[in-house]
Amino acid sequence: MAPVIQFKDVVKIYPLKSGDVTAIDHISFEVERGEFISIMGPSGSGKSTLLTMMGCLDTPTGGDIFISGIGVRDMSDTELTNLRRDRIGFIFQYFNLFPLLNVTENVSFPQMLKSQSQVDEKKAIEKLRAVRLEERLYSHTPLELSGGQQQRVAVARALINDPDILLCDEPTGNLDSKTGASIMELMSELHRKGATIIVVTHDPNVAEYTKRTIRIVDGRIAA
Amino acid sequence: MSRIFWEISKRNIRLHMLRSSLAMLGIIIGVVAIGAMGILGNSMTQEISSSLSSVGDSVIVTPYSGSGGGMGTGGGGGGGGSSQNLYLTDQNYQQIQRAVAPNTAIPIHSASEHMKVGVGSDDIVAIIYGLPTDKVKDLLPTLQSGDYSNGNSGCLVGATFASDHNVQVGSRISIGQDGQYGNLRVTGIIPERGMSFDISTDSAIVVTKDWFENTYNDADQYNEVVVKVTSGDTAGVKTTIEKQLNRNTKEKTVTVTDSKATLATIYSTFDTVTTFVTAIGGISMVVAGVSIFNIMMMSVNERIKEIGIMRSIGTQKREVMSMFIYEAGIIGVVGSLIGGILCVVAGFAVSALMLGTTKYLFTIASMSSVVEGVGFGIVVCLACGVYPAWQAANLNPIDALRHE
Repeated sequence: MAPVIQFKDVVKIYPLKSGDVTAIDHISFEVERGEFISIMGPSGSGKSTLLTMMGCLDTPTGGDIFISGIGVRDMSDTELTNLRRDRIGFIFQYFNLFPLLNVTENVSFPQMLKSQSQVDEKKAIEKLRAVRLEERLYSHTPLELSGGQQQRVAVARALINDPDILLCDEPTGNLDSKTGASIMELMSELHRKGATIIVVTHDPNVAEYTKRTIRIVDGRIAA
Repeated sequence: MSRIFWEISKRNIRLHMLRSSLAMLGIIIGVVAIGAMGILGNSMTQEISSSLSSVGDSVIVTPYSGSGGGMGTGGGGGGGGSSQNLYLTDQNYQQIQRAVAPNTAIPIHSASEHMKVGVGSDDIVAIIYGLPTDKVKDLLPTLQSGDYSNGNSGCLVGATFASDHNVQVGSRISIGQDGQYGNLRVTGIIPERGMSFDISTDSAIVVTKDWFENTYNDADQYNEVVVKVTSGDTAGVKTTIEKQLNRNTKEKTVTVTDSKATLATIYSTFDTVTTFVTAIGGISMVVAGVSIFNIMMMSVNERIKEIGIMRSIGTQKREVMSMFIYEAGIIGVVGSLIGGILCVVAGFAVSALMLGTTKYLFTIASMSSVVEGVGFGIVVCLACGVYPAWQAANLNPIDALRHE
């Protein structure tokens, strides 16, 4: 079976007026199905660029990226968008829920994009139970929830289309340590159930939950 | 397209209700301006049309006002004198009659004259028309009350004349300074004819041709000849008369007016005025459009991060675009429909105040102005939403996600 993520000699250069900046410098690595990986590195090391390319939000300047065996380099915007919708689940530092939608609608949003239909409440509730969010909160809007509760909703939203990969960008960065720990416990639980999870973090405590760590320094894999 | 974007658009409008309402208000004013102006213009056209349509089958022949040939000249009849000093001769009339047969040619005398209604009343000046007894019904086919005059001592009076001077059938009118031309008995009242190209009877009296010629001694001097066209078209009749009477291309004898062509010119002028006035109303719609554009740009700028999240989790560009188009569309449709209802009310008020009637309000022409106003409002809103929606859809997802 093809790796969930495969980077082959990937280069990302940002052309600036002051000169080109190489954010990713000939990186190659693979992520197998079911892995729980952390990507660490100092500010400006290129880990966010790496995340955007793994999440198909950006394309490389050189090299090739494969998601579940599918090459993304020459994909159109529409194809990349469909790939993000169907195979990738995003979890952000600031939760990034839609304030105009309630919890169930937020969770169902990617599923509605995929099926072009109404809210599948049954599936949304199944995912919300999986992230252990209290049932009384399902009809609330994000602004009525605590940070930890919002992040659980964000995890449920990321899981709704049963993606191949969960990409987490500092998932505990906006939470207190206790709530952050509970979110990472949830991630571990999802991993044990078979999810492939990649966490970008600068927090060693978060990295401890993962099984493998990729360190990025100056756009290269350090170890 | 998922219904969720429709739902988000509705909720965003509700969230910014004041802002959305103000944008709608602009559209409402624009639709009311366009619709009400259209209703007023159409009502005016139809009002004029109804009062002129009865004369749309006439050709009016008057003496050529240049250096006249073949026409007699002379003073006006009676004490008041004629308003013109050029006449058509009986020979001209006979030529016209032969040229237009089988249509009817009606020779008409006219003069302004002093008269009194009843003893001790004020002296008034009005137009007197002299028509042949056997042809008066061709020109004035109906009477409001009374009957046509058989003898030379009777006359018909116009509806306005009758109401202004309290004249009824049987009333007597003393003609001339101090009644020098004797008295006439009113036998009938002519219904209101409004504007007309042949004779304006509303404030005039109509006597027999014989009485007029005997009184003013001006037989063989007609002020105009009206041809009622029942066979062929007015343009053809006009051409025939011109060929017969204006053979001398250097010196014309008559001026021929085709009432139908004149009507067409009047309608065209009214259409132009209506279009112009409606276009002025359209300016307010343009202002409203700018307001919608501004609000949509604000909405996009406020939601850049939200757009970034949507794009990152798999929302297509066209879906982001649809969300903003829906928003502009909701403002446009709701605002335009409210404007449509209000412009019927405004059209009613403006028609009642300016025309004194609202009977043309629910005609196809007037209602089409409302539909045009509503349609234009919706189109303007959608058009003004397109660029902000396009801009939102084409935001770089990474930049949008990082937006604070």
